[in-house]
Amino acid sequence: MEKRILCPTRGGQASYPNQDAAIELAIERQAEIVFLYVTDVHFMDHFASPKLIDFETELEEMGDFLLTMAIERAQKSGVEATGIVRRGSFRQTLLDILDSQKVDAVILGTSKLETSMLTPEFIKDLASELSVHTGVEFIIVDAGEIVVSIKDEDNRSKKGGAEK
Amino acid sequence: MARLNTKIYQVDPLRLTRKSGSLKLFFGHHIKLAKFSIIVILAVPFISSKIVRAMQTADEEPARYLIVGRLIDAQAQPVIKAHIEGSVIGENEPIAESESQEDGSWQLGMNEVPHADLEILISEPHFHSTTIRIGDEERSQLLEDGVYRTGELSLERKITAAFWISTGIFLVVILLIATETLHSTTAALAGFSAIFLVSYIGGAFNSDLYIFDFEQGLSYINWEVIFLILGMMILIAVIENTGIFQWMAFQAYRLSRGRVWVLSLILMAITAVASALLDNFTTMLLITPITLQISFALGTNPLALIIPEVLASNVGGISTLVGTPTNILIGAYAGISFTDFLVNQTGGVILALIGMAAFILFYFRKDYLTSHAGISPVLYKKLEQNAHLDDPEGLWKSGLVFIFVLIGFVLGEQIHLVPAVPAIVGATVVLIWLKPDVQKMIKSVDWTTLVFFMTLFVVVGAIQEVGLLSLGASAMSRLIGENLALGIFVVVFGVGTLSTAIANIPLAASMLPIINYLTLTIPGAQSMVLFYALSMGAAMGGNGFLIGGEANLVTAGITEQANTPISFKEFMKVGLPVTYITLTIGYLWLFFRFL
Repeated sequence: MEKRILCPTRGGQASYPNQDAAIELAIERQAEIVFLYVTDVHFMDHFASPKLIDFETELEEMGDFLLTMAIERAQKSGVEATGIVRRGSFRQTLLDILDSQKVDAVILGTSKLETSMLTPEFIKDLASELSVHTGVEFIIVDAGEIVVSIKDEDNRSKKGGAEK
Repeated sequence: MARLNTKIYQVDPLRLTRKSGSLKLFFGHHIKLAKFSIIVILAVPFISSKIVRAMQTADEEPARYLIVGRLIDAQAQPVIKAHIEGSVIGENEPIAESESQEDGSWQLGMNEVPHADLEILISEPHFHSTTIRIGDEERSQLLEDGVYRTGELSLERKITAAFWISTGIFLVVILLIATETLHSTTAALAGFSAIFLVSYIGGAFNSDLYIFDFEQGLSYINWEVIFLILGMMILIAVIENTGIFQWMAFQAYRLSRGRVWVLSLILMAITAVASALLDNFTTMLLITPITLQISFALGTNPLALIIPEVLASNVGGISTLVGTPTNILIGAYAGISFTDFLVNQTGGVILALIGMAAFILFYFRKDYLTSHAGISPVLYKKLEQNAHLDDPEGLWKSGLVFIFVLIGFVLGEQIHLVPAVPAIVGATVVLIWLKPDVQKMIKSVDWTTLVFFMTLFVVVGAIQEVGLLSLGASAMSRLIGENLALGIFVVVFGVGTLSTAIANIPLAASMLPIINYLTLTIPGAQSMVLFYALSMGAAMGGNGFLIGGEANLVTAGITEQANTPISFKEFMKVGLPVTYITLTIGYLWLFFRFL
């Protein structure tokens, strides 16, 4: 059975280096990539202006388009790729997918943006926690470079086998 | 005598228009849905007390002798609900009592003229108390004519603890909104609650803490604004869910044939027009995702298309009554019609957009002139699929209704039809004709926004009641004098500069009484030019910084979803020059049109 790498992405040019890292890894491991886009509309909570449209559907369509671009880039490099668009919190969505689908590795990119919650610390904590929970390898990349690879065994050895 | 016994109804035309119109609307609307309870809870005590008061008034015996007068403040605005008490000098018990009405007028009725001099004590919590003496001469006149007129009396403002507390509450609300510590509605609701807590609980122990009672507080809610927004929300929800704006953006891409500068100009025009007819926040919600997709597909800088769009949306809305929430506030308060806005603002808006477009083309010239790779067939197909019209039948039906609503706005002026009526009628027709899921449509109405407006009106009403806005008006008046050109300049650039950082809805709401006073006192300002200046300043100023307008912030939120954040600095580098270019053009437009 072919290996699968899950690559959550938000698309856009800033995501290309991390997508490229996922593509390179897929070539190296002869795996297929599943790109994931999670719509997050929490930023809408603070506005007083009327929210009159099904805005989440608009974001889903945008996510679908961004994944189509990512898939196209992967296919140009000879890597099989598919995409999943989901609504909800990023952490829970990731957990749901890892519980329901066979995934061998997850590539997570960090963000240096002040406004982003995907800070290196957050991503590392999330990867450690989910790795323990699912046993899946988490590879953290920054600007296309692999920063750290976290496996369940690593966590167990570091924490004396204690699970969170 | 009979004529004098009737109540005096020479009220401030602005207040009368908005209040009578709103009550008719309120009773005429079908209050079936549970969420209307928000409005009902707030409005019922106010309306019922009015009815009870009217019945009591009808039962009163007409008095034979009347002393009448009128109370005004330093800005010649009526002083409402002042307590008037007439006593015979040397006696403790008053012989007559009353309250000043909405136009500041008051009357004391009595069945016989006392043999001794009278003293009339006038008291209002936010003014220094004053007395009027009715001596021999005045009593003779009262006996002879049945009425004695004291004339207009100007009351002097009193700075009480309530003044500082109301001001503090208002500033905290503004700060909470600006810093996004609380949701705007929660912030305004907190201010609303604090105002009444201070007024009722604090006022019970110390009269200096009294701001106003519940009924008086609710009288500051402009129901015309609430129902106009409500009607427009339903119409917009139907129209914008048809996919028309995404389709238009895609057609813009096709028309531009890959020339990004042409695409940018067309997208700016689309957002400006859409914002004028609908609202800029929703327009940006719809147009930003598809613009991101187009720019990614073209391989161009998305911000070179999106920042001009949001700037155009803030400016475009100025030209109509329903284009921005601030215009709705201004229109309802000052009685400026849809046509008035269109005729007096559109020219300035078009010129401002041209000036803005010239700067945008210069600023993003490198992005616009870089050649881009062609879009792949797969992406083109996906783009086309995401930009298709979702509901063509719904589009033409709702479009037709919308045109009739616009006609209603224009023709309604002839019969003094407030714009809220065509908006509500249009929304009702859409619900009957298109038969959408009513529950879904009612969910589309953003109730938090309506509550935000209602509670904000009361918070602003509190600072008006305690005299903060009166002081502001005096300061502005001293600064401007009778120079209208200077007045337009101060309002356009002053409000514009404040709007770069402060939420423009509370800013405009608090400026309305000040602008009203200046309109009444500056020669030539009766053309309402200062209200147009407020409209331009509030909307154009929103372009200065990312935090200047909700359309800016929501756009930034969407672009971040595609890992393409708009930084504060990046936005400011474009937005600030555009703000002052458009403010200058707007000022010159108003100057040459009205002076």
